[in-house]
Amino acid sequence: MKTVVLGVGNPILKDDGAGIHVIRQLKKYVKDPDVTLDEAMTGGMNLLDMILGYEKAILIDTVKMKGAKTGEVRRFSLRDFPSVHSSNPHDVDLLEAIKLAEKLGETSIPKEIVIVGISVNESQHVFGEQLSEKILKAVPKAVETVLSELKIR
Amino acid sequence: MKTVTIDPITRLEGHGKISIFLDEAGDVENAYLQIPELRGFERFCQGRRAEDMPQITSRICGVCPVAHHFAATKALDAAFNVEPPSASKKLRELMYCGYYIYDHILHFYFLGGPDFVVGPDSPASQRNVLGVIDKAGLEIGKEVIKHRAYGQKITAILGGKATHPVCGLPGGVSKGLNKDEVQEIKDMVKSCTEFAKFTLKLFDDIVLKNKDYVDLIKSDPYSLKTYNMGLVDKHNKVNFYDGMIRVTDQDAKEYLKFDVKDYYKQISEHVEPWSYMKFPYLTGIGWHGLEDGKKSGIYRVGPLGRLNAADGMATPLAEKEYKRMFETFGGKSINSTLAYHWARLIELLYATERAKELADDHEIISTHIKNPVGAPGEGIGVVEAARGTLIHHYKLDKNGLVEKANLIVATTNNAGAITMSVRDAAKGVIKKGKIDDGILNKVEMAFRAYDPCFGCATHTLPGGMPLEVNVYDCNKKLYKSIKRL
Repeated sequence: MKTVVLGVGNPILKDDGAGIHVIRQLKKYVKDPDVTLDEAMTGGMNLLDMILGYEKAILIDTVKMKGAKTGEVRRFSLRDFPSVHSSNPHDVDLLEAIKLAEKLGETSIPKEIVIVGISVNESQHVFGEQLSEKILKAVPKAVETVLSELKIR
Repeated sequence: MKTVTIDPITRLEGHGKISIFLDEAGDVENAYLQIPELRGFERFCQGRRAEDMPQITSRICGVCPVAHHFAATKALDAAFNVEPPSASKKLRELMYCGYYIYDHILHFYFLGGPDFVVGPDSPASQRNVLGVIDKAGLEIGKEVIKHRAYGQKITAILGGKATHPVCGLPGGVSKGLNKDEVQEIKDMVKSCTEFAKFTLKLFDDIVLKNKDYVDLIKSDPYSLKTYNMGLVDKHNKVNFYDGMIRVTDQDAKEYLKFDVKDYYKQISEHVEPWSYMKFPYLTGIGWHGLEDGKKSGIYRVGPLGRLNAADGMATPLAEKEYKRMFETFGGKSINSTLAYHWARLIELLYATERAKELADDHEIISTHIKNPVGAPGEGIGVVEAARGTLIHHYKLDKNGLVEKANLIVATTNNAGAITMSVRDAAKGVIKKGKIDDGILNKVEMAFRAYDPCFGCATHTLPGGMPLEVNVYDCNKKLYKSIKRL
């Protein structure tokens, strides 16, 4: 199955870039030519552009979850979220972008969109390339979750 | 008026917050806008290779990567004391036009336009691009997507990647264009010009022919008489990529024209205890609080600021639209905040016309696209980001590593004006404590017109529309709160 795996986030805003760190690790394990790995430092319409044409999309991102400990990794379906928005008013919600594409008759939207979420407690507003200790420990867990999603393990 | 100081602990992380304070009668006493500030940028940059700055700074923001990329590249031209070849400047500007095309289309159809096309009081669930398409038709939706993608494609052909370009180097660019690529760009640009004309016609039909909207646009709560700032070419016409920074006063008279290397003499920053955001003002006029008028040094940047600060547009179709806009408002300057939307569409048309001029230029396929750099030093660069004047300032050591870095971003330049516009709109539309979603949306419209950017590309989910509006009663108790989902 043609699948795209995207690490979503900003690699220079500390824990916000966790998804990017996961993608960089995944490159060691994923050799299937049907699986594309990429870094997505973007959201909304740009993110939609990056998933069109694949049967399945896996997005790895930091998620604020009530009742979860920092660094917990969970698998979600895109429809579990009321909105998928980057923290910016000049952007479009990914769900809105997908609804738009559906409305316009776009036929290449992935049939399945999975989000592998890494639990964080607050948004990052300090520049840095290092992950915090708890999020660093979550990276291998997220890698495993993606690999089992890809049925590699 | 009672002084309201918001404890720093209540400063919101992650998204913008509007706090509205009511008096005993339920009218608005004051309103504040708070925007999170990213911290530690200077320290993050220290010791990095100067050549990496265009890539690093393009990651600050998921919205204006191209603007940061070229502000950084231009600062490095200056820091390495190198004049880029003429062809490379044209390539950079052509790419920059692509960025304006997709950015302005996105704002009008997805963010700013729904308030007008669908209606300011319509349910929030319909005030989006889907509502626009329901009203305007599916075919228009397809055109929107197509032309936004063209803007992206132009940027990608020139920049390597649409979202995070890699082409800018001190002294030029890393990649030129071949004849096939130029032809592809020309074809896309031609279509974009037609789409820009169509969009202006749509604005005419939906907004300007609706008396209620025109009255709203011209009404006092949405007016602000500030100075205006923007880059101009040698004929004082709007330019996005290069030129002198011009400031005009409320009567459109030139107050100041300066080279960006003097920005720190002409612009000062005021700090308020309730905000992380700094408030820039014109040093020569001074800070006199969050007030408009000639005695206040607050200025506006972005589409309306640029059009007010210039004498016109450098391309024929956009110039015609420029004149029509100012005639409609009865002269210069235009103080109506909601006219930002109209100004933005005129700029969209200009970007397509300018892109055609550059693509038609025989020099655009030149292979002389980089000059050797000199010794590293200090450099300042400026571009007009889609949402306003953007300045990068670097100091390099003798090995070409960054010692100091300072940025003034567009939304910071607009900080004073946005705060006042939000306050004035709140005062104008909230009466006797009556508040509903439509009324609060009219407050947000004052904010949205500027197309503000929180300068950050954090993507933590679920996010939600990153604006929270809290209304407090006269006892400072939370009365109503709306968070956009």
